[in-house]
Amino acid sequence: MPEARLPLTLRLAGRELRGGLRGFRLFLFCLALGAALIAGIGSLADAVREGINRDAKALLGGDIELRLLYRPADPAALQAFAAAGRVSDLRTLRAMAKSPVTGERRLVELKAVDLAYPLFGTMDLSPAEPLHEALAMRGGHWGAVADRELLDRLGISLGQIVRVGSQDYEIRAAIAHEPDRGADAFILGPRLMVADESLAGTGLIQPGSLIYQVYRIAYAPGFDAKAWLANLKQRFPDAGWRIRGLDDAGMGIKRFVDRTALFLTMVGLSALLIGGVGVGNAVRAYLGSKTATVAILKCLGAPARSIFALYLTLIMLLAACGILIGLAVGAAVPFIAAPLLAQGFGLDLALGLYPGALLEAAVFGLLVALAFSLPALTRTRDLPPGQLFRDMVQPSKLRRRWRDILWFALVLAALIALTILSADDRLLAFWFVLAAFATIIVFRLLAFAIVALARGLARYRRGLTRRALADLAGPGAPTRSVVLSLGLGLTVLVAIASIQGNLRRELADTMPGAAPSFFFIDIQPDQLADFSSLVRGQPGFHELESVPMLRGRIVRLKDVAVEQLPPPAEGRWVLEGDRGLTWAAATPPGTRLVEGSWWPADYKGPPLISLDSEVAKDLGLKLGDHLTVNLLGREITGTIANLRDIDWTRLSINFVMVFSPGVLEAAPQTEIATVRIDPAGEVALERAVTDRFANISAIRVKEALASVARILDGLSAAVASMAGVALVAGIAVLAGAVLADRRRRIYDAVVLKVLGATRGNLLAGLVLEYGFMGLATSLIALLLGSAAAYGFVHWVMESPFGFLPGVALATAGIGSALAILIGLAGTWRALGQKAAPLLRND
Amino acid sequence: MIRLEGVKLKLASAAGEVNILRGLTLDVSRGETVGVAGPSGSGKSTMMMIIAGLERPSAGRVEVAGEDLTAMSEDDLARFRRRHIGIVFQAFHLIPTMTALENVAVPLEFARRGDAFERAAASLAAVGLQHRLSHYPGQLSGGEQQRVALARAFAVEPGLLLADEPTGNLDGETGRQVIDLMFDLAARQSSTLILITHDPALAARCRRLVRLVDGRILDA
Repeated sequence: MPEARLPLTLRLAGRELRGGLRGFRLFLFCLALGAALIAGIGSLADAVREGINRDAKALLGGDIELRLLYRPADPAALQAFAAAGRVSDLRTLRAMAKSPVTGERRLVELKAVDLAYPLFGTMDLSPAEPLHEALAMRGGHWGAVADRELLDRLGISLGQIVRVGSQDYEIRAAIAHEPDRGADAFILGPRLMVADESLAGTGLIQPGSLIYQVYRIAYAPGFDAKAWLANLKQRFPDAGWRIRGLDDAGMGIKRFVDRTALFLTMVGLSALLIGGVGVGNAVRAYLGSKTATVAILKCLGAPARSIFALYLTLIMLLAACGILIGLAVGAAVPFIAAPLLAQGFGLDLALGLYPGALLEAAVFGLLVALAFSLPALTRTRDLPPGQLFRDMVQPSKLRRRWRDILWFALVLAALIALTILSADDRLLAFWFVLAAFATIIVFRLLAFAIVALARGLARYRRGLTRRALADLAGPGAPTRSVVLSLGLGLTVLVAIASIQGNLRRELADTMPGAAPSFFFIDIQPDQLADFSSLVRGQPGFHELESVPMLRGRIVRLKDVAVEQLPPPAEGRWVLEGDRGLTWAAATPPGTRLVEGSWWPADYKGPPLISLDSEVAKDLGLKLGDHLTVNLLGREITGTIANLRDIDWTRLSINFVMVFSPGVLEAAPQTEIATVRIDPAGEVALERAVTDRFANISAIRVKEALASVARILDGLSAAVASMAGVALVAGIAVLAGAVLADRRRRIYDAVVLKVLGATRGNLLAGLVLEYGFMGLATSLIALLLGSAAAYGFVHWVMESPFGFLPGVALATAGIGSALAILIGLAGTWRALGQKAAPLLRND
Repeated sequence: MIRLEGVKLKLASAAGEVNILRGLTLDVSRGETVGVAGPSGSGKSTMMMIIAGLERPSAGRVEVAGEDLTAMSEDDLARFRRRHIGIVFQAFHLIPTMTALENVAVPLEFARRGDAFERAAASLAAVGLQHRLSHYPGQLSGGEQQRVALARAFAVEPGLLLADEPTGNLDGETGRQVIDLMFDLAARQSSTLILITHDPALAARCRRLVRLVDGRILDA
């Protein structure tokens, strides 16, 4: 008898399982769903990170990248690069691409590459062709390859001409895969790639134009990169290049993935928590049906501990099954998402199993199963066996033991610890835990209040209302589970919908209203007068604002090199790349000084700086501190004279740093201009400017915002579907609770029919009961969800929060409708139930 | 074997406190067969539960097999039952997800007997069910189920067998067979037998009759 070799608890659990999984379907579903979400999100995030690490060289384009603005590296530095290994040299800039045939134009991210490009990874074209053959001079034209989007936008096809500046290119292929696409963080237009040799012919290389010169190096085998780099920095201390190594490859994507994964994990945990309510319900119902078995076992000499061990084992075995199903689904997520991410973001995932993510999901699942099963398990353990003999006298009320409470607290503490410790942003995770607790407590209180209110009111009402109220408060009524599960699901939905709604409104309403119609960049100072008169002469013209613009990198704060400072928690972006800067004699219009005063218009002293107050706070700078900027290899140190408040959401010309006159005028620079014009005149203005000035690029604010909105929409869809899943969990739990109550409902309906109730009466009663419960729950969910959204939008996104009446109405409607629909679906049979068979059975 | 001294039991009910037992005093010797009779609600089953350690008295002393049950913890009582007591219920109370063999083996498994299944099989053979070992309760007739219950009660060779209306759910002939079997097994194992019954003929087969009315022993 092989069974006899197993421990007694497992033997008994196995025998109990022969009764089938009836009543455990919801239990399995809830755990599988929660585990699948957490495992799926974790696996996907790991696959992306791992993919980035694996492809780091291809993503960065080399073992190391050195980036200069405006100018090439000097010959001595180029020699040093060549000594390190193979070097690839490329230039990137923004420019306007036009079709001479259709007259359409589009801002493009232009990349001019040398023959060594790409050092790592492969460049795939459609139709397939070696890159450098596609870019070569052929039949009197240089070749170019472009994103399919550019061809669609210009209305041209392969083989046709696109003009950039004063150079014509023949489009030879579309880009299917660009290995280092992830290296550029901020993309305003589609990619156009050309040969570096051809760039001079465009006429775009002018003093002060925003052209990045990028050097990438593939180290020679066995090369001592560390020593070489240290030596390079020592030899060229003022070079002003931005150096990025493999650790920085895909840094932007990594940060984005971390952030998104954290957010999605919170939603996944919410779903698991809601599922936990279903787990609790299922366990309670199952153990309730086992009262007789427990009593028999106790009569046969089973100690309470054995009973506890038996059912704990059984439930954990089933939980493991549910979790395993979830893990299988979760593990498959990267495989399913890989083609989508490759297409949408050019991300190649490292496909595989990620045991860390799966283990985390499994532990979450087991802890949730344990936390929600423990109360019912301890109650079953303490069940008096005397119940087998007597049921006319109520069993004595069971008192909770301190030890049980302690165990429950321990499981809960483990769950909280895991939530916080496994998150990248522990503070946010802490707030999530706190919010989850508060939400559960509020809905528990609400359920209690509904029951108490219904009980109280039932006394003063008659007929239908009285019965609906009495049903809400009656023994065995599912009010508590319904309120908790529906409430948690709706709260998540409201929070997500409000966050999305607020961000979208910010983009859709606030910004375009205040934002200009166009940014024009790369205007040469000698073109400004002509440009200005051209723009002012356009129909529908409102306003033109232009300022000189240079780009430089902050290299020292308070005379200490930035590399030697600990990275600031906030405001790191200011130090990471080149920042736009300008100079002004008089206070620029719209300036809001918060500290210090503006320099006199005829100031001629040592350099002074006006700094963004937020940046000053993040970097710990105050009035009188020194700040050093590297500009074209020259270091300029200024003293902070005043701090300004900048509203970045208005999208007007704003600079973190404004210098006093007398410092930057002589440096090569361009002008940047914003133009406000009636929407009807936008196309004509863009054509007029770019036809007249080949080197000036137009950025249409509406389009840039639309592309941000598109990214946001894609993200929103992912987040909304997660919120949808949380609501599905809520609905499943709600349905389970209602179904568990069905037998009592049918019996009640039959008795009421015998007493003269029509089906209409019964239906009205149900609608009233579930409608009341749904509405009350929706209102509280609206309040809590909005509070959570406020916290996120206000503190995390630092955006203004507005209450959205549409979301409020939809929530109340969805909540009430769901409660009524599921309530009716669960008890529909009760309405049509014939009285006689049931009474006969009695 | 059994000594009850002034045993009282009060229980809370929806209608208020109910006096179930109002001071029972009873002595039963080893190997004795005792019939317990009385109207519904007189406290027969409750007395049996107190003897089995399934219910704690509100007052009085309960001694079974030389051990004071009132001083024992829940788990001590479970272990005590495992060693000394077999119970047969009117409604059989077999576990529906276990076979006949497993139902009989359960108390032996709790007692960690290595030969639990062999002894269970022997016990089922003793009640004539050797051909029904792998049947589930739902596949057995009422009489067969009660015989499985008997086999389960006797498998641990209890010093005390408690039977609560064991024929209440059986027809006359089947009931008679079960009772014959029960008395036979009790005699063979020299077990003390406490038998609750409404049937005067059945009560008459016991050496002694105890009559309960309204929570008190009328004559013993």
